[in-house]
Amino acid sequence: MTPAVQISKLDKRYPDVTALDGIALEIQPGDFYGLLGPNGAGKTTTINILTGLCNKTAGDVAIFGHDIVDDYRDCRRLVGLVPQEFNFDVFVRLRHMLVFQGGFFGLSRSICEARADELLAEFDLTDKADTQLRNLSGGMKRRAIITRALMHRPKILILDEPTAGVDVDLRRSLWQYLRRLNAEGTTILLTTHYIEEAEALCDRIAIINEGCIVAVDTTRNLVARLTTEAVHITLAVPSTNGMLENFDDLQVEATAGSNEFTVTFDRRQTSYHSILERLIATGVRIDNIRPAGNQLEQVFVSLTKQ
Amino acid sequence: MSSSDEHIYAPKLRRGNFVGFKTLVMRECHRFLRVWNQTLVPPLITTVLYILIFGYSLGSRITEVQNVSYMEFLVPGLVMMSVIGGAYQNTSSSLYIARFHGNIQELLVSSMSSFEIVLGIILGGVARGICTGVIVSIVAVVMAGVQILHLPTALFFIVVVSLAFASFGFLSGLWAEDFDRLSLFQTYVLTPLTYLGGVFFSVGMLPVIWQKIAMANPILYFVNGLRYAFLGISDISLPVAIVTVLFAAIVPFIACCVLFHRGYHIKT
Repeated sequence: MTPAVQISKLDKRYPDVTALDGIALEIQPGDFYGLLGPNGAGKTTTINILTGLCNKTAGDVAIFGHDIVDDYRDCRRLVGLVPQEFNFDVFVRLRHMLVFQGGFFGLSRSICEARADELLAEFDLTDKADTQLRNLSGGMKRRAIITRALMHRPKILILDEPTAGVDVDLRRSLWQYLRRLNAEGTTILLTTHYIEEAEALCDRIAIINEGCIVAVDTTRNLVARLTTEAVHITLAVPSTNGMLENFDDLQVEATAGSNEFTVTFDRRQTSYHSILERLIATGVRIDNIRPAGNQLEQVFVSLTKQ
Repeated sequence: MSSSDEHIYAPKLRRGNFVGFKTLVMRECHRFLRVWNQTLVPPLITTVLYILIFGYSLGSRITEVQNVSYMEFLVPGLVMMSVIGGAYQNTSSSLYIARFHGNIQELLVSSMSSFEIVLGIILGGVARGICTGVIVSIVAVVMAGVQILHLPTALFFIVVVSLAFASFGFLSGLWAEDFDRLSLFQTYVLTPLTYLGGVFFSVGMLPVIWQKIAMANPILYFVNGLRYAFLGISDISLPVAIVTVLFAAIVPFIACCVLFHRGYHIKT
């Protein structure tokens, strides 16, 4: 099957900095793919090269088998971009912007108008159709910028930090929409700073750091790479010093007299099961038990720390 | 491509994106027509003021220039000034603001070629130059009682000069890094050359040395080309004016295409 995105030996060099250093990436059709990395790692540069906003220095990039330079028209009709910044003419009315954008992709006026109305309804923006973009709220602008990317119904949707600065409700509804879009067959490439978002949405993740891909795997496998885990335990009644002595071979953080403590352990040497067994053996009543911290975040930090 | 492509709306384009190009030209026209009181009315007011002050008032004290009244002499130059200003301002501001807000990316990610984008934006400027020129011509002709002797020639100069200055405006919008720089070309180059370009005087009225210097000013050729079309008089021969205006339109247009295609100040 032709990959949705195929990147090989991609370089982007500026006179004083190397933004991308020979990266390789393959995204399959139907993937929900996450590109994670700290600020300045090269995420946006990669996306900009894919969408024609940035010229590559070297390497090959193809979208559904079409070279991004030689077959740029075929590439761009297949791609929708949701950029990080609100980059529209703020004096234009929302519906006009959508109709113009469809036109730039070669769609007839009647198709553009029907599609604009469909998307405005879907994103609950119908009553703002004739509002100038400058008069929309932040959340509405975020929805507007996504509708613009969907006007030509792209085969792959690229989103650069799509939920940065949006409230919880909108974030959840965008997640729901993206999941549905992906289930209907649209390949999605997402960059995000929110590890929770990547873990919740993406099937596969690439971690990029200082212009190099440092890990590519399924989200599940990346999380499985963790050798150290931490578990947060809440007891029904405060623990006693005697009880904690049972765990002196593990790293335990606890406050005297508190009913909460954290156990950090090496997964190769011990397991959740044995920890629970030992806890129960002490005769305590467990009120709550949960992993301490986000597991993917721990992988991310371990792979990108200097 | 497989049948899974069927859900995609955007058509495959083998012979250029004519619909995209047409949409862009319409958007550019929509942009200046939406604020017609800021784009089309000001040159009209300026022209009326010039006609009142230099035509009716001071002009009555000036003897004929090349056998026509000073009022008649003035009209083609005023039309040319408004054409130059309209075409230049449209593309320079449209492109600069699109870069400033980032919405130039709407075009860059679309399935339009760089040539189609450049031509679309520039034709928006040409449309404004023509609109301004036609409106100002009608008012000036009515107020000054001038008749246009060679209408096709007048239209030729209005269209090609619009193309030339829409291209200069495009280059300025591409080059400028801030609003101050955007006005530099207009302040230091365009305005002086326009005022010294024979709008208000015949080049024969200048001292000999200044006559020679004035011949290096391309706007002199455009003004005189249009004056010939309106009145049948000119300081410059018509073929020379035509070649000059074509050269002035084609060279910056090619520069626009090359720079934009390379991503100058557009792509990182």
